[in-house]
Amino acid sequence: MNILLRLALFFAGAGHYGSYFLAYIFETIFFMIFVAVVLIFTIYLFRKYMARLQLRYGPNRVGKFGSLQLIADALKLMGKESILPSGRDDFAFRVAPLIVFIGLFVGFAIIPYGSFYWIGSLTITHSNVSLLLIFGALAIMPIGEIVAGASSKNKYAVLGALRGVAKDISFEIPMMLSVIALVMMASARTANGLNLEDLTSVQFIPYGIPEVIGLFVFFIAMIARAAYSPFDLGESDSELVSGYSTEYSGMRFGMFYMGLFGSIFLGSMLVSVLYLGGYNGPFSSYAGFIYLLIKTLILVLVAFLVWLSIPRIRIDRFVNMGWKYLLPIAVINLIISGVLTLGLGI
Amino acid sequence: MIEVKEPKKEIPVIGTLKAMFIVFKHLFQKPITTQYPEQKRIIEDRFKFRIFLSLDDCVGCTLCEQVCPNKSIAMTSLNRANPRNKRKIYPDVNFGTCTICRNCEEICPTDAIYLTHVFETSRTRNSFTYSPEELSLPEDEVIK
Repeated sequence: MNILLRLALFFAGAGHYGSYFLAYIFETIFFMIFVAVVLIFTIYLFRKYMARLQLRYGPNRVGKFGSLQLIADALKLMGKESILPSGRDDFAFRVAPLIVFIGLFVGFAIIPYGSFYWIGSLTITHSNVSLLLIFGALAIMPIGEIVAGASSKNKYAVLGALRGVAKDISFEIPMMLSVIALVMMASARTANGLNLEDLTSVQFIPYGIPEVIGLFVFFIAMIARAAYSPFDLGESDSELVSGYSTEYSGMRFGMFYMGLFGSIFLGSMLVSVLYLGGYNGPFSSYAGFIYLLIKTLILVLVAFLVWLSIPRIRIDRFVNMGWKYLLPIAVINLIISGVLTLGLGI
Repeated sequence: MIEVKEPKKEIPVIGTLKAMFIVFKHLFQKPITTQYPEQKRIIEDRFKFRIFLSLDDCVGCTLCEQVCPNKSIAMTSLNRANPRNKRKIYPDVNFGTCTICRNCEEICPTDAIYLTHVFETSRTRNSFTYSPEELSLPEDEVIK
């Protein structure tokens, strides 16, 4: 039983096609609400966590413990005038934040969420190649940043976009190599190594334990892909004003901002699915969604800690890190996991 | 020739982890922010701001007006029965230009003018000048 069937049963009065039509619509609505709540919660968590690490209180005036601060901020951003630079590429400029946002939503739709008590499985996409799909979805977001930089008619924005390209090229390859090692291990036990659900369910121990190096490489590449400090070269405030989002204001800027935090949460979720066993948990298999969220939250806190404690690295060191360190480490990890899979049969 | 000692080369990831741990330790400390209108910090003894005037002690000698470095103090006449103040003049203070140099407090022969801990003197009217009567009132009784 999954959420779609539950909804179809709920709308059974509308006939076969009608019930499924309504079920799909309501599933989409629930999913969008979930993503919106996740975005708001992640930003709130970041602000509180950052404040406590810096011996401050953080937002604490709007609502209880400042919990409504993000809603107030969103209302403020919606009310602000959207200033459009002259000489822009109009269509590309308007559509760029949407591309980032759509990439984020598609990415969230592919994650296997596991089951949640009486509702059953919350997973939305059941595909045999969902691993490829999610990396395809993750590759949509950088396109939005590049389009934003190129269409703004601003030197800083173009430089930020170019750095974004450098970031994606240098960190995509180690990331995919570490995933290949993972699929190699999984395909010893399942026929569909590319299916995220199968990949999760075969993890009798979390793959982060035999694949420590892969986890390390993937996590760093994930941080670099999400582009925050220490890898925020695309929008380094002190050199480029704000990178690709320099010319954006109002809600369009807010979408980039939410895209950043959403990609942190999505990346942490992906790491917990691939390396920490996803919805597998010690006691009840009905609480898979909870286990996934707990693992994700821990990873999000670690990612924020990286953000808040390490200063930005130079652009050449950054690219070197991808090509000269992470890529060889990922290749070595591939060999090690080959030995582990074929030689030791893990 | 002085030999320059090269620093020991550390393993890169270890230093990063150390930095992260140091930052993480702050999570368990109390925030040092003072939530101002609700909480107030203890004011130090030597902190002075608002000038007070004791109308009964003032003899109208104008020394405070003379010693004020940026002419924040001006003498104004005030019809009040005080046998020691024959000319019936008292100082008024413009807090917009006052720099709290405390010269007036030091020079005053009768200790009529003195500075206090009171510092919340925000007001909505345009003038920052306190008349002699206002100087003798506590801060919450002054019309703002």
